[in-house]
Amino acid sequence: MAGFRGLGLLSTTALKVVVLSLFDAVALYFVVLLAWEKSWLLVGVIFAGLLGLNILAFSRRLYPFRYLAPGLLFMVLMVVIPLVYTVYISFTNYATGNILTKDQVVQLLTSRQFLPPNSPSFTFRAFGEGQNLYGLYLWGPAGEYVILTPGQLSPASAHALKDVDGDGIPDFLDGKAALALPELTRFLSTLQNLNIPFGDGWLRLSTLTTFRVYSPQYRYDPEADVLVDLRTGKEYRAQAGNFVAADGEKLDPGWISGVGLANYIRFLRDPLYHRAFVRVFTWTVIWSVLTVTLSFALGLGLAILLNDRQLRFRKLYRSLLIVPYAIPAFISILIWRGFFNVEVGLFNQFLSQYLGVRVPWLTDPFWARFACILTNVWLTYPYMMLVSLGALQSIPEEMYEAAKVDGASGWQRFSRITFPLLLVSVAPLLIGSFAFTFNNFTLIWLLTRGEPVVEIGSRAGATDILLSYAYKLSFQGGRGAEYNMTAALAVIIFVIVALISGISFTRTKALEEVSRGL
Amino acid sequence: MAFRGKAPRFWLGRLVRNVLAWVAIAFALFPALFVLGTSFDPVQNLRTARIIPAQPTFANYLHIFRERQEINFPRWLLNTVYVAGTTAVVSVFLCALGAYAFSRFRFRGRRAGLLTILLVQMFPQTVGMVAIYLILQALGKQIPWLGLNTHPGLILVYLGGAIGFNTWFMKGYFDTIPRSLEESALVDGATPFQAFWRIILPVARPILAVVFVIQFISVYSEYLLASLILKGMDKYTLAVGLQLFIGEAYNRRWGSFAAAAVIGAALILLIFYALQSQIISGLTGGAVKE
Repeated sequence: MAGFRGLGLLSTTALKVVVLSLFDAVALYFVVLLAWEKSWLLVGVIFAGLLGLNILAFSRRLYPFRYLAPGLLFMVLMVVIPLVYTVYISFTNYATGNILTKDQVVQLLTSRQFLPPNSPSFTFRAFGEGQNLYGLYLWGPAGEYVILTPGQLSPASAHALKDVDGDGIPDFLDGKAALALPELTRFLSTLQNLNIPFGDGWLRLSTLTTFRVYSPQYRYDPEADVLVDLRTGKEYRAQAGNFVAADGEKLDPGWISGVGLANYIRFLRDPLYHRAFVRVFTWTVIWSVLTVTLSFALGLGLAILLNDRQLRFRKLYRSLLIVPYAIPAFISILIWRGFFNVEVGLFNQFLSQYLGVRVPWLTDPFWARFACILTNVWLTYPYMMLVSLGALQSIPEEMYEAAKVDGASGWQRFSRITFPLLLVSVAPLLIGSFAFTFNNFTLIWLLTRGEPVVEIGSRAGATDILLSYAYKLSFQGGRGAEYNMTAALAVIIFVIVALISGISFTRTKALEEVSRGL
Repeated sequence: MAFRGKAPRFWLGRLVRNVLAWVAIAFALFPALFVLGTSFDPVQNLRTARIIPAQPTFANYLHIFRERQEINFPRWLLNTVYVAGTTAVVSVFLCALGAYAFSRFRFRGRRAGLLTILLVQMFPQTVGMVAIYLILQALGKQIPWLGLNTHPGLILVYLGGAIGFNTWFMKGYFDTIPRSLEESALVDGATPFQAFWRIILPVARPILAVVFVIQFISVYSEYLLASLILKGMDKYTLAVGLQLFIGEAYNRRWGSFAAAAVIGAALILLIFYALQSQIISGLTGGAVKE
């Protein structure tokens, strides 16, 4: 488009420069703020974004990207980066107990304290006025100090101390009167929070009347990458995300660290994960295959029924038959869940009244799986019906005429003409539907939550599909988050989806259509 | 004489077809009809609720709009419309921009860009849930209103997922709009953006409406990401909150649930049937539901 090239401006250049420089100034301000907090990743991201924006705004050659960038930005941020990040997490130990960085872990552990038996002890007296605690006077064999709240330590000699009753203990500190013990209890939490660096350790409240010097429990040696327990002298070496002693003792918390293929190997070797994975994978495949074939069979049957031009009210029938498609799935699934309720559900009311039986829907593995498939067939057949109707209408009438002339029966016409031709155009949609069902978390979760439980101690229930099992590994309350295992499972799902799409692409004409679209 | 043998069979065949159709329709409709009927039955127990209530009232409907403690139906409905509406409007605009560039400009990286979008779009966003969760958590530490448990955060996630398919879908439509339409404007000195804004968008209104509606419906019904990101009950969308209406209390709250389900579904049913043919061609053409 020769005409486009010379006109590559959204508005006048001057306005653009003004607006852009204002925007840059604000963004750079945030970059500085973030740099102050050492959020280098975010600084990098924002800076790169800013740079990109400025280049886009002035480059003629990149003019089309001004249109593409906004959408692509969201896609990169919330689809591409999560994809890459998921792969990354799957090679780490990122889970409850290992969610901090190494620096944070070192900081946390080296700030842990213990009370050595011979540590100096100080008696103290508190001073204040009305509602305010002004400061503390501490004395003991190791000297005399004053602590001003919220926590500055200074030698006692730097303050005005006045002993009125002559017992050797000051009664006024910088003009503030001493507090009696009952008054002091009001400030107990303030006192307990005091943690004042003192020598190698910290000065802290030990009993209601004394302060003592606490020592750090660990010292970190960055050169050797070793943490030493100062009480026992035991050494803990940094190793795969934790500080570990020679005897195998591990310090909590650990940090995020690479573990190679360990998470994937757990799905193969760790019995609990392995059994769960095999069970869930098998069910996911069975569930997807059955849903797609059964709903396609039902949908195709109805499509053939509706395709009969002599059938009256076919428009009305069609509109009524697609109602399950039009109701938001999360609503109809919950309705079905009510129907399947063992005590008060519609199905068991009916069955117990007429047949005298109660089916343990949703509590027995077989019936729970049955319920999932029945519900999903109900949800999916209208889609199958619609695509089959479209495909049926595209089969030329002449083919049937010719077959009739040759004396083909109704069944022969269906199995030799209709079905093969239909399958050609519908196959990619069936594969798409398979992939969708494979990951239909909403149905499983709202209908059964993946339950019933089939193995004590395993998170995977009888109706869990890969995606809901992945969800449970990280987000099921009370059991800790195994982000690494969820991510590994997600990567496995990615691979399966890629394979399915690959088959769909090479086996059908989708690729041709796509390249025509390019 | 030749027709005498055929006529009754023909008549029978027609009867069978109609009966089959009505059986299927009964299967299709009975959950919806049951919920519609029982929503007017003030009995809150699923066991005793009747599809044709003995004394139909609006009590359940009044109840769910009055009850505003933990379970806050009106709020959840507003949240849902806000999140779905915003996502749909913004994504229509973003996708139209992208589709216009892919359809009208020839530039380096165009082919690669289209293929990349298609490839990325194959991977369901929900599978990356851990990463999305952790990214929003990190984002929220720097920008609190964009983090976990916020609507803008959720919208951000949905926008990311909405771009790929819709851009392709719209590009296909833009390709069918003759270039001569804009070319005269460009000759008259309009910028490409003006051509896009003044000419292409108005012509493409039907496709914009379809993408808007499909996007609205899909966000309206999305469960996984919403339940992952929205933690406070006041932030819930209907998809996350509706299950709390019953939990396991089918004998105590069925009527309220039914009323909420009817209202929740009615909005989507109305949109769906008003734009039936366009939506269906959009959904089945792209083989994407949700």
